[in-house]
Amino acid sequence: MDDIWHILRDGPILLNIDDIKEKPGPYTISFGFDLRPLVRSIREFGLINAPIVTRGEDGCMDIVAGYRRIMALRSLRWKKVPCIDLSDSGLEPLELLLFNLHDNISTRRFNDVEKGMVLNRLIPFIPGKEIREHYMPLLDISNTMNLDILIRLEELDTQIKESIADGTLSLNATRLILDMDNRSRTAIFKWISNVKLNFNHQIQFIEYSTDISIKEEKSISELLDEEQISRLLEDKRTNNPQKAKHVLDLLRSRRSPFLTRSEKTFKKNISGLNLPQGVRIQHPPFFESPEYRLEILFRDGKELKEKIDSLAQIDRLKKVGDPWQEDS
Amino acid sequence: MRKDRIKKILVEHGAADHNLTSSVLKRLDNLPVENIIPDFPGQRHDFQDMDKETLRLIKFKGEVLKPCPGTRGYICCGYQILHVGTNCPLDCSYCILQAYFNQPSLRIFVNLEDELIRIGQIIDSHPDKIFRIGTGEFTDSLALDHVAGWSDILPHFFTARKNAVLELKTKTERIEGLLTSQYRDRIIVSWSLNSPYIVSKEEHGAPSIKKRLLAAKRCQAEGFTLGFHFDPMIQHPEWKEDYMRTIEMIDRFIDPKGIIWISLGCLRYMPALKSIIRRRHPGTHILDGEFVRGLDGKMRYFKPIRMEIYSFIGEVIKKWYNDPGLYLCMESDEIWHKSLGWSPENTDGLSLYLDKRVIEFFG
Repeated sequence: MDDIWHILRDGPILLNIDDIKEKPGPYTISFGFDLRPLVRSIREFGLINAPIVTRGEDGCMDIVAGYRRIMALRSLRWKKVPCIDLSDSGLEPLELLLFNLHDNISTRRFNDVEKGMVLNRLIPFIPGKEIREHYMPLLDISNTMNLDILIRLEELDTQIKESIADGTLSLNATRLILDMDNRSRTAIFKWISNVKLNFNHQIQFIEYSTDISIKEEKSISELLDEEQISRLLEDKRTNNPQKAKHVLDLLRSRRSPFLTRSEKTFKKNISGLNLPQGVRIQHPPFFESPEYRLEILFRDGKELKEKIDSLAQIDRLKKVGDPWQEDS
Repeated sequence: MRKDRIKKILVEHGAADHNLTSSVLKRLDNLPVENIIPDFPGQRHDFQDMDKETLRLIKFKGEVLKPCPGTRGYICCGYQILHVGTNCPLDCSYCILQAYFNQPSLRIFVNLEDELIRIGQIIDSHPDKIFRIGTGEFTDSLALDHVAGWSDILPHFFTARKNAVLELKTKTERIEGLLTSQYRDRIIVSWSLNSPYIVSKEEHGAPSIKKRLLAAKRCQAEGFTLGFHFDPMIQHPEWKEDYMRTIEMIDRFIDPKGIIWISLGCLRYMPALKSIIRRRHPGTHILDGEFVRGLDGKMRYFKPIRMEIYSFIGEVIKKWYNDPGLYLCMESDEIWHKSLGWSPENTDGLSLYLDKRVIEFFG
């Protein structure tokens, strides 16, 4: 590494900005950032730290560090950029990558897309065991299962990656859409981003859609394009939480018609009993356990007795039970 | 059945000196062998296909005999698992073992004979208890018998004990080893059965129902006691007619008097298995049914669906033969009552019921 200090000491050289590649290249690991503060800063105070570059195999300059600075300078229409050129440093590609990685990791946290970029760039050089043991903790990746997902994030459309980077699309939801065809993934993402589904709802929405699509042998995009579903998204009278509830209810009833019918029948039967105020009868989760639950809210013994007496008068209580018995 | 695809053998450190290792290597003397260090705990593997082309010979350090884990809220049969290996050459889409992808390859535990000495002491020190022991929980009991030679080792061990039975549970027709063994007493050979539709679509590499029943017929003719397990039963178009076809085939080939028990169980799975099934078997429809989270956290068919399946199949089986030793695998007292008209009430009750069957059949 002695050479690099020598080069850094010699200071930057001026390069034409057009000679620097626009794409992130093999060393940079920035995605999903807000460029505006940096643009403002450069406009006001100038470029404080020179970006670091190296000549690629094609003769153009790859950015080693300072990808965002170069982007900011492009937007400010700078023609020449002072850069530190490591082309003759003798540093290997892995060293250049690690140089940038450590330059970044000391000052900020990576989002998930950036973690994926780091992993993708490391994988050709570093054995899997070392990635798991050394780089996973360094990148704050706790679950080995997430490695496979992170390294595939770069495949996704920019819009989806931006949602992952800003934390509005969960990694668990991403895992479920990674293997989908592009149209289905786009259709799912449209709902998630437009309705701003929370993380739990994202998973439910994707799972219901996937299950129905397989069961009915139609693509997810065909399913979500159905008029009955797409009109929920377009409905101007409902807000996002209402849209989320409506679509999830609809998909759930289509995924599990017998269960949802049983729940509805049970609810209808109970509401028909005219229970005293503060009295509730609930079925067990999914009707799996054989026991139903009676809940009575009361302020004192007198009120409790009144409610129990009132309950005892409801003859139809005897009929409370498994709702599918009525179906059959 | 799918031809053996074993292409190499890995002998883990500590396994080389065991007799079972020598006999396996002798049987597969045309395959490359590599000595390796055992995986460290938590070691990650990425074998989409479970690496079923590799056979690992392992000195197993865990408990070789352990009770079936059972699950909270449901009645268990109280069976004990003899852990002789893991994974099998078949590739059923519903197989729970797919979830253990950190344990790839076909695995044979070569210290079985040493462990049997200890297990014998356990069995012999509880003469009043009946040990119903099976090897078919983490692997198919016979699919690798021609390689592992379990039928050379296990039958004489069990035949010699009057308070234990061995159940060899399989989907295969690999009965050659058993038939050449001279032991029949206290051995139950049982077959996992399903509807012909599920067998053809979901039990990849497994023989047809007819082939399984022909193997069962042969075992019965050779003096073995039989068992059958309809597990996992899966709803599919015309499932009633299709499961009836299987029962009709049993009737054609098997004398019901020689069946010690028939179990019924509907498909259930740990939630984490779903994405694995979807990834490994993208075309499968086994997850199409209405599944809910059960009391033990596993996904099961919505209760009335299970009751319909059990009632129907139970009724058909009882019409065929009135004393089939029918029982439900991991179901609630309520489902027992509403589907079969009676219940053993709890795990102890079901164990007692099955122990009585053992006494009736083997004394």
